Amino acid sequence: MEKREPFFWLTISCGVIVMAFILLPLMDMVTAPSLSMLKETLKDRDVVRSIWLSMYTSGSAALISFVFGTPLAYLLARTHFKGKRWVESIIDLPIVIPHPVVGIAILSVAGRNHWIGQMLGDLGIRIMGSVTGIITVLTFVGLPFYINTVKAGFEGIPPRLEKVSRSLGASMSSTFFRITFPLAWRSMVIGLIMCMARAISEFGAVVIVAYHPMIAPVMIYERFEAYGLKYSQPVAVWLVLVCLCLFLALRILTLRRAREI
Amino acid sequence: MIRRHMIETLVVFSFIVSAALPCSVGAEPQGKLILFHAGSLSMPFEAMEKAFEAAIPKVDVLREPSGSQKAARKVSELNKPCDIMASADYQVIDRLLIPDFADWNVRFATNQIVLSYTDKSKFSKDITADNWYEVLQRKGVSWGHSDPNLDPCGYRSLMVLQLAETYYKQPGLYNKLIAKRPKENIRPKEVDLISLLQTGNMDYAWEYLSVAVQHGLKYIALPDEINLGNYQHDDLYAQAVVRVTGKEPGTFMDIKGNSCTYGVTLIKCAPNREAAIAFLTYMLKPDGGLKVLKDMGQPPFVPCRVPTEEMKARLPVELKGLVEVKK
Repeated sequence: MEKREPFFWLTISCGVIVMAFILLPLMDMVTAPSLSMLKETLKDRDVVRSIWLSMYTSGSAALISFVFGTPLAYLLARTHFKGKRWVESIIDLPIVIPHPVVGIAILSVAGRNHWIGQMLGDLGIRIMGSVTGIITVLTFVGLPFYINTVKAGFEGIPPRLEKVSRSLGASMSSTFFRITFPLAWRSMVIGLIMCMARAISEFGAVVIVAYHPMIAPVMIYERFEAYGLKYSQPVAVWLVLVCLCLFLALRILTLRRAREI
Repeated sequence: MIRRHMIETLVVFSFIVSAALPCSVGAEPQGKLILFHAGSLSMPFEAMEKAFEAAIPKVDVLREPSGSQKAARKVSELNKPCDIMASADYQVIDRLLIPDFADWNVRFATNQIVLSYTDKSKFSKDITADNWYEVLQRKGVSWGHSDPNLDPCGYRSLMVLQLAETYYKQPGLYNKLIAKRPKENIRPKEVDLISLLQTGNMDYAWEYLSVAVQHGLKYIALPDEINLGNYQHDDLYAQAVVRVTGKEPGTFMDIKGNSCTYGVTLIKCAPNREAAIAFLTYMLKPDGGLKVLKDMGQPPFVPCRVPTEEMKARLPVELKGLVEVKK
């Protein structure tokens, strides 16, 4: 048998530490509620509604990021312009701003004291305490994860391929849709997963903009405060399980297709 | 030989002295002091923290504001280390902390419920203590309160609305008002409503007087009969009953109205009992913490109160002189 270098064992032991660090607290939480308790929680309409709302709003945030983020990510991957660093830093801002500040910032733009808020009010669009508000917040926090992932994906595609297409007479848009998009779609799916995952976990900003209707993290908080740990844990377990299944399925799908390519 | 004797005597002597006076020179409090308190106490406690740390620099006061129920649950369920817990409703301490996590409960201040707003709120020029319930029903006016299930200020706001029905002789007022308040206008804590007022997302919010004063909000002060601020009206307040969620989902319990009375307690397994007692001694002094509270719109009890002689007997020696027994 080949002798392993000490470095190999270092990587293995670090890996074990990281796994334990993530799994130990989660295992503890997942195994705390009894099965009957989990069943009972699932019968609670409010819980199911909040988990569904979480999925729906974070999914919407991911789709909005897909629509608006993809062209921007492409631009950033393919062109160099003055102030590009600034644009990239601005895109990263939502990652570093404390969550409650995000909520307050969005509310202050949406309030009657601001012209945007007045305009939205005239159009009958409400941000505070509405699903629209939740999606706005989740898009705000999720967008950087989508753009950064997809930008890296575009950068991995040789520009040569696009140039060949262009030189053969294809327009910029048809080159994008027929050459770049099919090659980059996997990074887009990963971007969607990253964005949605980030959005699902958001609590601090959402609770400021919308307490009702309740997304799952807000409900976990409310349950904890009103009833204690015993009744907030099962909701958390269901949220974790649903997310785990969803993301695992997406990853398996994308990986399988990648092998075929 | 004589010298050695002297040193021995000195050592023994100083030992006796320091044992007899635990808070004297030898045992100056130090280290971290963890304080869980109601959101509405944030500003006075910040001021007290500064004054206390200036007097005893070796102590670092770490404050964690939250809803009072949550503060209690952090101790009772999460077993988070905590020295002192101050609640916006002294009954929270009685309900959730005594006897397992605390021995006593000192009532130290009062507050009252007001209707707060800004000069940009709709109809802010028309509203008075006589027509507020009519303004709140006008079209396009958005108002809210904190969550009655999580925050004493929330169920107290609802109690004010119930009491107003009788006081202003407006049958059905409570239900009419609640019908005008969408669920979306409820927030976890009363301080969460302030940013909604200030950003123009909400016109009126039910707040504690202290919170309105500290944040420079305009407010309508209500008559004593309905503002839950005067404990002499406790019998009247008890007519208001709000149903909140019980110990588990699907169960409910009724809470009867009583005056807004703040309670403070020392947690039994306090990691820094010495510093906690030093802080409480400062806090409950008329020219110490109680003065800070008074300046910030939170009328203190001078002296502070415990309900029974028996509870007074359980207080740390240092605090006994600062409280009286009063129902």
